[in-house]
Amino acid sequence: MSSPIIQCQQLKHVYSDKVALNDVNFELDAGEPIGLVGPNGAGKTTLLSILSGFLRPTSGTVRLFGHPPGAAQLNGKVSALPQDARLDPGFTLIEQLVFYARLQGLTTQQAILEVSRVLEAFALTEAAHEKPGVLSHGMAKRAALAQALIGKPALILLDEPTAGLDPVNVRIVRSIIAEQSSATTFIISSHDLTELDRLCQHILLLENGILQTEKIQINEQQSATRFITLQMESCPALEVSARFQALEGILQVTNPQKNEFIVAYNADLQPNMDLQLMQCIQTNHWQYRQLSHGKTLEEKLFFRD
Amino acid sequence: MVSHIQHLPVPQGRYYSAPGKCFSWVNKVKWAELPTTVNSRLLIEDKTMQPGFFNHLLLICQFEIKRGFATRKGLLSLAAFAVIWYFILLYPLRFAAGLLTQENGLNQNLSFFDFIGFGSIQRWSIPEFDVFWHFALIIFPMLSVTLAADQTCSDRERGTLRFIVMRSSRDRVFFGRFTGFMFIQALLIGAAAFSTLLLILYRDATLFSSALPELLALIVNLILIILPFTAMMAALSAQVKSARQATVWAILIWTFMAGMISGLAYYLPALDFLKFLIPGYQLSDLAQLSGWRTLQLAYIPLLQSLILLACGRWIMTRQAL
Repeated sequence: MSSPIIQCQQLKHVYSDKVALNDVNFELDAGEPIGLVGPNGAGKTTLLSILSGFLRPTSGTVRLFGHPPGAAQLNGKVSALPQDARLDPGFTLIEQLVFYARLQGLTTQQAILEVSRVLEAFALTEAAHEKPGVLSHGMAKRAALAQALIGKPALILLDEPTAGLDPVNVRIVRSIIAEQSSATTFIISSHDLTELDRLCQHILLLENGILQTEKIQINEQQSATRFITLQMESCPALEVSARFQALEGILQVTNPQKNEFIVAYNADLQPNMDLQLMQCIQTNHWQYRQLSHGKTLEEKLFFRD
Repeated sequence: MVSHIQHLPVPQGRYYSAPGKCFSWVNKVKWAELPTTVNSRLLIEDKTMQPGFFNHLLLICQFEIKRGFATRKGLLSLAAFAVIWYFILLYPLRFAAGLLTQENGLNQNLSFFDFIGFGSIQRWSIPEFDVFWHFALIIFPMLSVTLAADQTCSDRERGTLRFIVMRSSRDRVFFGRFTGFMFIQALLIGAAAFSTLLLILYRDATLFSSALPELLALIVNLILIILPFTAMMAALSAQVKSARQATVWAILIWTFMAGMISGLAYYLPALDFLKFLIPGYQLSDLAQLSGWRTLQLAYIPLLQSLILLACGRWIMTRQAL
């Protein structure tokens, strides 16, 4: 059995009189991307800053690959996209990224090749000799992402990686993460739950500096009750709910947002509930946009009953 | 729910498979077991890829030198320094040399040099060096306070330092940048000293052999003098938010520290030794020395630098980035 890549024990961080993290305990092994979510001020950036070695915890211990954050042994093994960090305006992208690659132990020749690779991956080849001041917000964000991928680290901590990016670049980032996740463990902090739903198998939920564990576990274990999320075109919500409720095996129908329905059903009684719903929609001449199994991540995390 | 992950081929070389649990909570929650696949493989540590302390120090130092000489900001600072030094060469240095080379000039003009504070001029075999020495004792510490004010502060405020400390320790960044700034200032001192040498040789080329050892003594001394000033700026830069703040704090701390220690020493003479903590404390004594004798007081800036660097390192390792 491998040792965990991240170990946090009784982690606490206090800013002046505000507790940002309180008694956070967890271990992570290498694997699929892990999402880090929570409302504003929940402590996500603080946690990532501590893991990256930018911030010292008030108390508790942190180990990455068995070493404290910032240890020389983690050089090239752990990388990060810090929130709002900007490159030096005095140097071109290639100058700075080659410098970073050299710090990771690459020779000048290797560094140039590696930097060319990451810049190409983020469609920044043409901007390689530009200074950060002339880059758009999206390009600067991609450049910051590119630096995190230099040398293919084993662990990459990404704080809001797709914030401020256009859909095309969001897709590029997503595909790069998916492509590299076989060799690299990503921890992604984001408010974009749809994005995390696509990328991550596991979620860490922080609320008021406390890692929420028990509730998520309960949800995961409720295997007898299944959920279907249905997005409809414009429809009579009350009638839709009533018709669905009349179907055999339905436990509950909720309408959390306009034209969105979450159907809870007993899978033992009606294993093909999706087909039943489709039939009901067709019979009533309604139009649906999307049907997906399970609740959305947003519902799972923030609207648990 | 944990979905099953497709089995991927194991790449050869620097990878190994680290199978097992993908995710677990300490003593609380145990998440589903993942199949033993290569999804958890890790890049193993390649010892040959880990650069040592001095390698990083050199890389960071080189980058700072590049910043000093190959960026617009660096070139502007150099241009400003060159202009100031040009006027020092053109007027005071040439003026002093002119006066002293006149017939009977030395004896007649000694009282004048005493009057403007350059009484030690008689102790230097080459008068230009005395004028250079007096100007350098003021200009280079001042240059250090302004030029070396931004060792880490703006990079920390911008977040750039985060990209660097992910790849190098804070110690390496702190000492690498300090070394880089020292190197830049050493080059400026060297350039200023050699321009003075050229002025001397222009007046009398036969002075070359006697001027060279004195020139080296001056350069070594000036580098030692700016050491504690640069170390002080390194420590302040690790604490404050901008270069301007660092400069203002340097002036305030220097002034108040000098005032307080002098005041304390007046009432409690036993505390007089605290004066050794003030960067530049030895400058007034140094102004009276010449040649290699100036190194008699070298232990003071060295000691001050060690203390200030230790303080700076302490701040740097505890500072939130």
